[in-house]
Amino acid sequence: MSTVPLESFLAELDRLKADAVEALAAAVDADAVERARIEFLGAKSGRLKAIQKLLGGLGGADKPAGGKHFNEAREAVSAALEAAQGRVAGSAAAVEPLDVTLPGQPVRLGHVHPITQTIRRVQEIMARLGFESVDGPEVEDQWHNFDALAINAEHPARDPLDNFYLAVARGADPLLLRSQTSTVQIRVMERREPPLRIVSLGRVYRPDTADATHYPMFHQVEGLYVEPGTTMAHLKSVLRQFASTFLGGDVHVRFRPSFFPFTEPSVEVDMEWGGRWIEMGGAGMVDPAVLEAVVSGFAFGLGVERIAARRYGVTDIRDFYRNDVRFLEQF
Amino acid sequence: MIISLNWLADYVQVTASPDALVERLLMAGLNHESTETVGSDVAIDLEVTSNRPDCLGHIGVAREAAVLFARPLHVPDPRPLEGRGAASDSVTVAIDSPEVCPCYSARVIRGVRVGPSPKWLVDRLATVGVESVNNVVDVTNYVMLECGQPLHAFDLARIRGGRIVVRRAADGEDFTAINHKRYALTSQMCVIADAERPVALAGVMGGADSEISADTVDVVLESAQFAPLAVRAAARGLALASPSSYRFERVPDPAAVEWASRRAAALILDTAGGTLEKGVVHAGVLEGTPAVIRLRPGRVADVLGVEIPPVRQHAILTGLGFVATHPPGAATGEPDAWRAPSWRRDVSREIDLVEEIARIEGYDRVPEDRPIEARPVESSPREVTVRAASEVLVGAGFCEAMTRSVVSEKLEKAASPWGGPAPLRVQPALVRGADRLRRTLLPSLLEARAGNTAAGAPHGELFEVARAYVGRDAAPAEGESPVAEPLLAAFVTGDGFFAAKGLVEAVLTRLAVAAAGGRLVCRPIEIDLFARGRAAEITLVRGPGPAERIAVVGEFPQPAMEAVGLKGTVAGAEVRLDLLEFAAGFERTLRRPSEYPAVERDVNLVVAADVPWAAIAAAIHAAAGPLLEQCRIAEVWQDAARLGAGRKSVVVTLRLRSDTGTLSGDDANGVVRAVVESCGRAVGAAMRA
Repeated sequence: MSTVPLESFLAELDRLKADAVEALAAAVDADAVERARIEFLGAKSGRLKAIQKLLGGLGGADKPAGGKHFNEAREAVSAALEAAQGRVAGSAAAVEPLDVTLPGQPVRLGHVHPITQTIRRVQEIMARLGFESVDGPEVEDQWHNFDALAINAEHPARDPLDNFYLAVARGADPLLLRSQTSTVQIRVMERREPPLRIVSLGRVYRPDTADATHYPMFHQVEGLYVEPGTTMAHLKSVLRQFASTFLGGDVHVRFRPSFFPFTEPSVEVDMEWGGRWIEMGGAGMVDPAVLEAVVSGFAFGLGVERIAARRYGVTDIRDFYRNDVRFLEQF
Repeated sequence: MIISLNWLADYVQVTASPDALVERLLMAGLNHESTETVGSDVAIDLEVTSNRPDCLGHIGVAREAAVLFARPLHVPDPRPLEGRGAASDSVTVAIDSPEVCPCYSARVIRGVRVGPSPKWLVDRLATVGVESVNNVVDVTNYVMLECGQPLHAFDLARIRGGRIVVRRAADGEDFTAINHKRYALTSQMCVIADAERPVALAGVMGGADSEISADTVDVVLESAQFAPLAVRAAARGLALASPSSYRFERVPDPAAVEWASRRAAALILDTAGGTLEKGVVHAGVLEGTPAVIRLRPGRVADVLGVEIPPVRQHAILTGLGFVATHPPGAATGEPDAWRAPSWRRDVSREIDLVEEIARIEGYDRVPEDRPIEARPVESSPREVTVRAASEVLVGAGFCEAMTRSVVSEKLEKAASPWGGPAPLRVQPALVRGADRLRRTLLPSLLEARAGNTAAGAPHGELFEVARAYVGRDAAPAEGESPVAEPLLAAFVTGDGFFAAKGLVEAVLTRLAVAAAGGRLVCRPIEIDLFARGRAAEITLVRGPGPAERIAVVGEFPQPAMEAVGLKGTVAGAEVRLDLLEFAAGFERTLRRPSEYPAVERDVNLVVAADVPWAAIAAAIHAAAGPLLEQCRIAEVWQDAARLGAGRKSVVVTLRLRSDTGTLSGDDANGVVRAVVESCGRAVGAAMRA
């Protein structure tokens, strides 16, 4: 049996590879690809099969080189076939083109109320400062809403016209809708020992006529910090940390003297926002009459509607309670 | 309180600009409302907190300015010249009700010429927005605005019998005020009466027929103290609030009763002439001397977090009128002892003194860089529960609403799903007509949805997380409120009953209620809130406890829909988040999905048409055993011809799978046989081939 020269084997192989790549590249549909496949890679009489038979005729020393080239050629042809198959399959699916500029299927997004978002943001920042959120009843007794907060019987804040008192059975203790969330702090202090770091939040009620800046139902967030050795410097520092996180940047806070029955000294808290001092709420050291022990502490309160209105550019706080989806969807 | 700058200069010479003055007052507790130029004067409107009645007069504000700018304060010492006659011969004063009038004084000036006030007086009153009336009335207003003590001048000729009686009004007693309106008084109010009838509503307004007029010759000048509650009852009860009532409600300086009387008498003599009768007719007692307040060394720094030298502390308190019992630093380590001035009844404790020092020194001295120790906190079960529930609803495309807790009768007609025989009422109404504490959120949400429909908003798919208020049926336990406040998550949707129910189930799944050991059962209910045959409750059983209703879901009845102007079908649901907080701490443990394939078998059961799915599902679950991964309804149909009347076909797909191996056909057939047999027994189901 005569040996096949390596050069002619390799030349044959190269020609086959070039023919196959060309034929497959030129195939326009699945039939043409299939015809090319049979011609070059057909299991029985494909041209590659024919060349494979020549492999046996190579001289012993040429066999490894011949085998290596043969494998390379087969892989190249197979790859060209796969590419051609992929190409014609793709073109078949693309028969009906889409107007891809049409809008996607709408997904109705839900929205959390801006007041809730504001409350959660305050809660989250205060949680990082170690303040735990607490909850308490909205229908309160006079003790928690007034007496325990050092608002005595003669104080104008107790006037029936300034509160929502419940019609209760004769002889029963009067109940009212809480006018501040400090009531919750009293309830926590009744059952827990210091140190305390809490924020109480929720709805409060005062009979104001509804207008752009008032609503008879609104939300408060109040913080209470009780620990020995607490000073106003701690209060100011905590509020500054809060303001810097909430408003962004290094925000300064300013205290102005004020008067609240349950804190002493009492201050109004201003925060610097957009180059101006903005009133954010009230604060102070917990009045010794409220905090009977020798422990010291501070408290602060923020009006949620006021903060949210400023943050979102809401000029009429009644909008928060109109529940118009066109309003709610913007947050 | 409006301050005239010219007027203020009578008591203190501040060289700073009006803006600088305003800024310092602001930072010391007198909030700035506005500044306005009036002629050659400047009017500064200051907000005065209710604890500072002393600053409801120019002298009080001047005292603050004097301390803040370290300037001397000049307060006049009026000594009006007394003439012939004794006041006690002209009038008598009796206080019948000392609890509403602790003290009352009267001076008498005879022979005045009532007429226009001099220009300086008219101008000053004009600056602070008070119209000139006549030279006598103007003086009483001027002195009130000077020292904060309201005064009243009567025409002595109209005081019958020269008798002044201070007493509670009789209920229903008739009174005509200076404004010529008639009022029916109550016994909570205090009146000044003469021998026959009321001549003034104490501390609020004078009477029409005893006022100073052009004909008045002899004047009785009243300076008194009235109890804040009595004054407030009259001012608010009759809607007659006045600058006088405003001050009495805040309790003016008791020492000013006499000072103001002398000051006004002197000014009336100056502006209207006449003769002041000797003495003052006085009844009642003035409050005693204020108690001594101790201020421990170091206390200021303990509260403020910054040292303020004792000498400075001393200067501040002295400037404000406090009197020290010994000089600063005189006693070593001993607390300072201070007596508050009569006009500072709000200062009675050590902490009050600290506040005075702090506000004058300025809170800008308090450092803002004292960090607090880090302390980790966890979200409460309630927070976790509320957030998880609202995540589900927001994810499903709902907008969070906030509706009023107090509603009108229209929204509180239906019986509540959460108990309470009748809604609790509040006084006054929150807004017009809304005086009932709601026991469910759903009617409010339905109304909000209707609002969106009417406004042409894109949709009205709304939810809310809020409380309801339910009076307890039984007497509350010790320490328990008589009002329960279930925390609810409620929503309304236009997608029908099963969309609503699916959402409730999604919320319950998200809250891991069943995973945490709760057993949930759904049953039909009939409640006013929902249409008949279109309402269900979901109850929860935990451990040995009784079943508790934790959710209701249903479609709203036509009348409720029409009442708010809604058409079509609207469903809603309400979930008791407060009863689901137990699951907040549930720790999830992985159950590895099976590696083996599932086998599905359809079972076609024919049952009576009124057999509920819950009964069929219970029968299937009871018999299927652990291989049943899921059972779902493939099809339900009725056809009298093929199934017989009153029968329905329920095709159920059972998905079976084992954790330990591939199921054989026999395994699957065994489960199907058991299921069919169980359904035959429990709900009379027949297998249909």
